[in-house]
Amino acid sequence: MRQSRRPLTGLCALLTLTPLLTACFAASGTDTSAGSSSRLRVALARPPAQALSPLSNDATVLGKLSVAEGLTVLDANGSAAPALATSWVRKDATTWTFELRKATFHDGTAFTAESVVASLGHAAAAKVKPRVLSDVTLTAKAEDADTVTISTSPADPVLPMRLASHELGIFATKAYGQDGTVTPVGTGTGAFKITKLTGKSSVTLDRFDGYWGGQAKSAGIDVTWIVDGSARANALRSGEVDIAEWIPASQAKLLNEDMRHEVSSVRTDSLLLNTGDGIFADPSLRAAARSALDSSAVVGPIFAGHADPAQGLFGPAVTWAAGKRVAVTGRADAASVADVKAKTQGRTVRLAAITNRAELPEVATVVQQQLEKAGFTVQQDIRETAQLEPDLLAGKYDALVFSRVTLLDTGDAVAYLASDFTSSGTYNIARLEDARVDQAIAAAAQESDTAQRQQKIMLAEAEILRTDAAVPLVHEKVVQGFSPRVEGVVLDPRERTLITTGTHLK
Amino acid sequence: MSKSAVGRVVAGAGLLAAVALLPWLSGTDPALAVLRARSADQGPAPEQLAAVREQLGLDQGPLPHLVHWLDGLLRGDAGVSWVSGEPVLPEVAAAFAVSLTLMLGALVVTIAVAALVCARTLRQGAELRLREERAGTAAAFLAALPKFLLASLLATVFAVWLGWFPSSGWEGPASMVLPALALGVPSGAVIGGLLAQSLPGAFAEPWVRTWHACGFPPGYIARHGLRGAVAGVLPQLLPTIIGLVGGAVAVEKIFNIPGLGRLALDAAVARDLPPLQTATLVLVLLGVVAGLLVGAARRGLLGPALRDGALPALNPPALRPHRFTRWIGGLCALALLTLVVAGLSRDPLHVDTAARLAAPSIEHPLGTDSLGRDLLARLGHGALRTTALALGVTAVSVLIGLLLGMTGRVSAGLTEVASTLPAVLAGLLTTAVTGPSVWGAACAVCLVAWTPYAVQAAALFEQERATEHVRVSKSLGASPVHLMRRSLLPAVLPSVLRNAVLRLPTTVLVLASLGFLGLGEQPPAPEWGRLLSENQPYLELAPWTVLGPAGALVLLSVLAVSSATGPASPGRRTLVAVLSGRRR
Repeated sequence: MRQSRRPLTGLCALLTLTPLLTACFAASGTDTSAGSSSRLRVALARPPAQALSPLSNDATVLGKLSVAEGLTVLDANGSAAPALATSWVRKDATTWTFELRKATFHDGTAFTAESVVASLGHAAAAKVKPRVLSDVTLTAKAEDADTVTISTSPADPVLPMRLASHELGIFATKAYGQDGTVTPVGTGTGAFKITKLTGKSSVTLDRFDGYWGGQAKSAGIDVTWIVDGSARANALRSGEVDIAEWIPASQAKLLNEDMRHEVSSVRTDSLLLNTGDGIFADPSLRAAARSALDSSAVVGPIFAGHADPAQGLFGPAVTWAAGKRVAVTGRADAASVADVKAKTQGRTVRLAAITNRAELPEVATVVQQQLEKAGFTVQQDIRETAQLEPDLLAGKYDALVFSRVTLLDTGDAVAYLASDFTSSGTYNIARLEDARVDQAIAAAAQESDTAQRQQKIMLAEAEILRTDAAVPLVHEKVVQGFSPRVEGVVLDPRERTLITTGTHLK
Repeated sequence: MSKSAVGRVVAGAGLLAAVALLPWLSGTDPALAVLRARSADQGPAPEQLAAVREQLGLDQGPLPHLVHWLDGLLRGDAGVSWVSGEPVLPEVAAAFAVSLTLMLGALVVTIAVAALVCARTLRQGAELRLREERAGTAAAFLAALPKFLLASLLATVFAVWLGWFPSSGWEGPASMVLPALALGVPSGAVIGGLLAQSLPGAFAEPWVRTWHACGFPPGYIARHGLRGAVAGVLPQLLPTIIGLVGGAVAVEKIFNIPGLGRLALDAAVARDLPPLQTATLVLVLLGVVAGLLVGAARRGLLGPALRDGALPALNPPALRPHRFTRWIGGLCALALLTLVVAGLSRDPLHVDTAARLAAPSIEHPLGTDSLGRDLLARLGHGALRTTALALGVTAVSVLIGLLLGMTGRVSAGLTEVASTLPAVLAGLLTTAVTGPSVWGAACAVCLVAWTPYAVQAAALFEQERATEHVRVSKSLGASPVHLMRRSLLPAVLPSVLRNAVLRLPTTVLVLASLGFLGLGEQPPAPEWGRLLSENQPYLELAPWTVLGPAGALVLLSVLAVSSATGPASPGRRTLVAVLSGRRR
């Protein structure tokens, strides 16, 4: 009898543990109460870095879920269209006046010119500046309840486009904490309001009935962040979510045809060559590398067709680029295989790539083979961004397979060109110092006429490509997955919009 | 007792101090890593970096941060994250609760699998029918299954195809089933394999025969035989199961579980010190508590005999190997040899985009990967360096484990602390010192891989020291060196060897898992662990891309186990001879 007591005590111990176990799950359980059928279940890829603060990268989430709005919004062509502002006028080079619409914040307070002044003031005063304000300072002043004047320093021809960034979204007074933090929970003006944010794993949103643009068709959105691409695809295929963004190329084929939706992205993958020192300081070797690369070998196998062979730095997602493209002239002649071997003298090309995007290491392998055919000896160094980046900025590599968003927050290409290719650029990994490139980019930055500006951007592109500092490989396409039951998902090349008032389950 | 307490405090404090230095160790700018974690695609302008530095006080260096953090801890505040600005403690506590729950689930699976693996030996032993030593090929097979591959497979089959369980998330007990299986099956195989090896020794003791003759039921005998064997294997739970709380990153990713492993990894990569420190502290405490519990359970199982030096000797009876052992080993060796010979004559690096993900054919007997490279060639070319590196790392780890195991309680703290340390953290600490290299990976893995052998050796040494024959030898004047060579080592080594062999595939995978830090062979070198991880996304689309590498790993594992089986096996004989300094 004595022996039989032991399993019994074990069982008792196990039973007392059970409530403890269920408590562990309850913390992360999402609310699936009333009306769950008309709620959208969404899997997003990148978890919030700063608790969805609009002054960080998380601002894109606020746009994708229609939580926050700026004064303007970008239309399909990338020009500014009315959002919280109904119209605007440029008074002089540095002053603009915006007429505001009547709107209400999620907490019930009214949206006024003072809200704009406060929100833009907080963004400008942030200790670590949001990306969108990296090259300009804004000062807002309320003229009356629905008019606001914004002055810029220096002159900013793209201000209306800049204001479309969700980093410059307008939030209720309640959003701003003493310590400089900003929370979008219950403080935006968009069609959906955040009711609960659970760490980096989920966020719950309800329809905002007081939205100025009319009621959203869906009762709410339940968002889960799933970092792993295969896991996102799995969640969509098993019906656990209705929408899953960024399905990796390796998983896209597994989705039914009516579930995968392709959209050209403003991301371009290129091979950056270190023009500062090392093997590729020699223009003829850069030219040899450029002519050795064949991007069609990358598009098919690695991106499974979900990419376009590169035309230049700007791909089809930048709608105006193709029509204004300028032919590249004056490139150096490519060194022959024998010349390459003679000039490199057994030195090895240090080829870097980051692991954060699954396709890039594979691209690096293809690039390696193509470069070796042209006579180079190549050694790869594949690491995670934070490990690799300090060495990249220090110029310790000859070549880098790099994926870059070509239209940053302003929706304007100059910011990208200036930081990556001017001699004073902060992200000039190619270490390009070319007077003609600097001039071309500066000329584009000063142009205020939209069409002229686009033309000058394309001139700058041609100047950059002339140097062979960057060899564009592919223009990526994003595969967004959603079930055939969902209607009205916005396929946005800039990845700023995903769910709007019209998105709903059939 | 005080000796071991001091050991624990020193080891824990040492680890925490090392972690506190991490952001500054590598000579790179921590502000850049923090800025990158906050905002991708942002050009690192000097004024932005300066703002981050000033905001976080990075110029002060590590010491003020450590003091500040410790000071906050006393008031129940672990600080705020450098990246998100959110308080750290609630986040770490939630992740810890999740990981602990998952670990308990994995423990249940482990026990079940271990029971299945050693059921036959247990039954035969209790019925006195044990004549042949089983090689444990089944255990070796299961132990060689990569956890992340198992996880992907389970998610595809049971969540996507059949819809029985959720594919991801942490919503209720149902979401625990698949990850617990993925984590528990390989662990259970290791534990079961070790148990099955030590059982014959337990059933060779005289009392079994007596009890059997007296007509005790086999179940009763089995239970008592198990006690002694379990006591020797129980400490393995520490590195194998408790270590999963912080070390199940891959499985947590695949099932999107908000666990401690992912939290620690993200924090470490972003140089986000407060959450990393807090997570490390939690793991250290967990390791120590678990170590104490396991120790208490072990002493409870062994009873007063441990204290009184009345334990039976560990020496297993000389059983002849199972008749199939030689055959299985031979077949595995032959298959691996064919693989290497056939693979070496092909080009492992040739990218042929036209033949992408081609199914096995005469041209490509094992198919091709996503870049159209021949998998047979890649396996063949990777075989030598993979096995050589894994064997080298295992040998060093076993040696460290044995040495630390000999010191007994002094090193108990170090062992407990290291066994819950995630390999990735060891990798980051190593890269900071060595920079990216192959040897860096080997060093990093050696830093954590010795723990299973140390806990095992410590337990077995203690048990063997408490046997009557060692007591008698001592009283007859045997020197400590003689005792070590003639009684202790020969008793402990076979089990440690079996353990090392069962963990060989894990070592291969852990070595490859550090690749993203730049540790290990750089791509496109065909290394087996990399073959598995780079082809994992194609599991469903092109199963052969992972079947080949996984099969090779299983072959290696089974071959290693069968060549180390039997008292007269070449592997065991050589190792015992070398380590105990015995000359033939």
